[in-house]
Amino acid sequence: MTITQAVRSSTPSKAVPQRAPRIRTEAKRAPSAYYWMVWPAVIAFAAFHTVPVIVGVFFSFTNYAGYGAWNFVGLSNYVNLFRDDRVLQAYGFSFLFAIVATILTNAFSLAIAMGLNAKIKARNFWRGVYFVPYILAILVIGYVFQFFFSNSLPKILAGVPLFADNILTNETWAWTAIVALAVWQSCAFAIIIYLSGLQTIPAELYEASSLDGASPWRTFRSITFPLIGAFFTINVVLSLKGFLQVFDPIVALTNGGPGTSTESVTLLIFRGGFSGGEFAYQTANAVIFFIVITIVSLFQFRVLQRREADF
Amino acid sequence: MSKRAESIRRISAVLAVAGVTVALGGCASDSGNGITTLNFFQFKGEALEDFDQMIADFEADNPDIRIVQNQVADADTLIRTLLVKDRVPDIITLNANGNFGRLAEAGVFRDFSDDPVLETINPAVQDILADLGTYGDEVNGLGYVNNANGVIYNTAMFEEQGLEVPETWDEFIAVCDALVDAGITPFYGTLADSWTAMPSWNALGAYPAQDDFFDKMREEGENVGPDSEVSFEKNFVEAMDQQYELFSYMQDGYRGRTYDDGNAAFANGEAAMLLQGIWATNPITQVNPDIEMGIFPYPTTDDPDDRLLVSGVDVVFTMGKDNPKEEAAMRFIDYAFSPDVIEKFAASQNMVPSVKGAELSDDPALQSVKPYFDEGRITGFIDHQVPPSIPLTPTVQEFLFNGDTQSALAALDNEWRKVAARTIPVTTGEER
Repeated sequence: MTITQAVRSSTPSKAVPQRAPRIRTEAKRAPSAYYWMVWPAVIAFAAFHTVPVIVGVFFSFTNYAGYGAWNFVGLSNYVNLFRDDRVLQAYGFSFLFAIVATILTNAFSLAIAMGLNAKIKARNFWRGVYFVPYILAILVIGYVFQFFFSNSLPKILAGVPLFADNILTNETWAWTAIVALAVWQSCAFAIIIYLSGLQTIPAELYEASSLDGASPWRTFRSITFPLIGAFFTINVVLSLKGFLQVFDPIVALTNGGPGTSTESVTLLIFRGGFSGGEFAYQTANAVIFFIVITIVSLFQFRVLQRREADF
Repeated sequence: MSKRAESIRRISAVLAVAGVTVALGGCASDSGNGITTLNFFQFKGEALEDFDQMIADFEADNPDIRIVQNQVADADTLIRTLLVKDRVPDIITLNANGNFGRLAEAGVFRDFSDDPVLETINPAVQDILADLGTYGDEVNGLGYVNNANGVIYNTAMFEEQGLEVPETWDEFIAVCDALVDAGITPFYGTLADSWTAMPSWNALGAYPAQDDFFDKMREEGENVGPDSEVSFEKNFVEAMDQQYELFSYMQDGYRGRTYDDGNAAFANGEAAMLLQGIWATNPITQVNPDIEMGIFPYPTTDDPDDRLLVSGVDVVFTMGKDNPKEEAAMRFIDYAFSPDVIEKFAASQNMVPSVKGAELSDDPALQSVKPYFDEGRITGFIDHQVPPSIPLTPTVQEFLFNGDTQSALAALDNEWRKVAARTIPVTTGEER
């Protein structure tokens, strides 16, 4: 952004003839060594990232099954998506899940990060402990949690009908178990970001607030939270984006069940596209989902960045 | 300049050497010494050693053929990838599921209709394969061994209680009630694994699905519903209610148990029956080698003679169309289908051989389903007829949790309509 502005501000003085200077600037071009460093990355990125995306968008206009012959079908995949109540249900589930999980993750992480930032005993040990969930493979954890929900909890809480009968098989409440697993795992990363944010706050500000006799709550509201605003923004945007794409916790716990009550958009894309033989149809779904996530993330940035304090 | 040119030359020399090495390595396998190397694509992990033995015996008699077995995980995905890349294996074994049917319909497999080996196979088995899908009137696969999907029961426990194998639905329920009265759990339920809801659904649903039910469903397509000629809502109510009734005889906590839990519990005599198939007998005997068990088909008809055993083709042999090594590959297939070879394989895998006259192992569970194969009273798994984009298994599992027959059947019809509406057939312009 700043670069384009700089260029623009320098050009108006030179007025109309713009083509000629191009040749003259050749001497000032970066040394060729830079090109050798950049080209492999650009080529690899284009080959493994940009081209597949374009190919995917291309196939979303066909009736390709993943193998064999295909034709162009125009926009009918997209039209059918909006008529498919299973797809709409998956979007509903993904958003409900993502919003609840984002709120819980950020509330817990901020609280824990404040604790880990304070002067407590064995601080580094505790910081390590809270980072462990991030290192463990989610599927492994998932199966531990599955055992916990389907075997341990029914025995521990035998008196509560919801848990006594394995919450994972309850179509109304199974999603809360997935939220529990997802929040438990993703807190670790959010804590790290909050911790680094908290460490950027100068100690003098706290000294000043304590001299003024501010209460801890007031200190948090007026100093801590505004000063980690940028970290809050990035955490909320990343969490929501990540939770919208939730996949592994669902596979490990309920596999989308019971019925299709915990089927997220990504799980539906994966299932329908690969084992379901509807490659093109679910590719169209993926394109829509990509657009939705981009819009949601940009919107969040705009809203949240306005609230950040600048220093 | 010269320095740069020098380095480029050096790099290209290295690349050239590497390329030649790769090229030489690539064609080293089939040098002209008269030996044909066949690439054998094999999906069944537990049959790896049986096939190794079979190949070794075959190669001993046929020194001009060498067979390389490639046992793969997730064969359904891999075979599609290979077919797309035109790298079709010389001999293929697959599980005969809906995926096999769709590949066959796409016309990628050889036509076996004129091969003499086809005459030796039980026609009822080939009918199951044909129902999955073929390219025109061709025969695109040879059924090798079959499984049997029925109620597994503990024969010793039945004898102790003086119970007979039930032949009608009322007798079946009477057996369950008698077991409950005797303090025995009739079935061990394992609904934590959603697929364990499917064997009983397939078996009970096989009766309403007779008489080309699924052909008619495909014809109805977008119009499937409670008022159409056939539909799940119209034809499957009784079967689903029966399934739910059976699940009411499960042990406490059956929603949280897994398939493995069920096999162990049955092996230890904690339940009298399992709603599973012959594939479960191996894991059961691993827990308790002394257990005596049999299998009977779900008795839901009024006339005991109308009972049908649901059976799937567990291993199907096929090969790609226009295979240049066809002759050698057929020699191996003919060998595999010779009675003593197939008998040995089927006995080791606890399956039913498809070749007429091949003997079953004397395992009592297998012997109890023998009459159904001999008389051709077998039918295929109906879930292979349901498009895989329909969430069938989760829907049935959910139904068994909440017992809402109407909403489960409506959900299936709704998905069928949507899939039919959005499936746009490929028009290649070729004759078909």
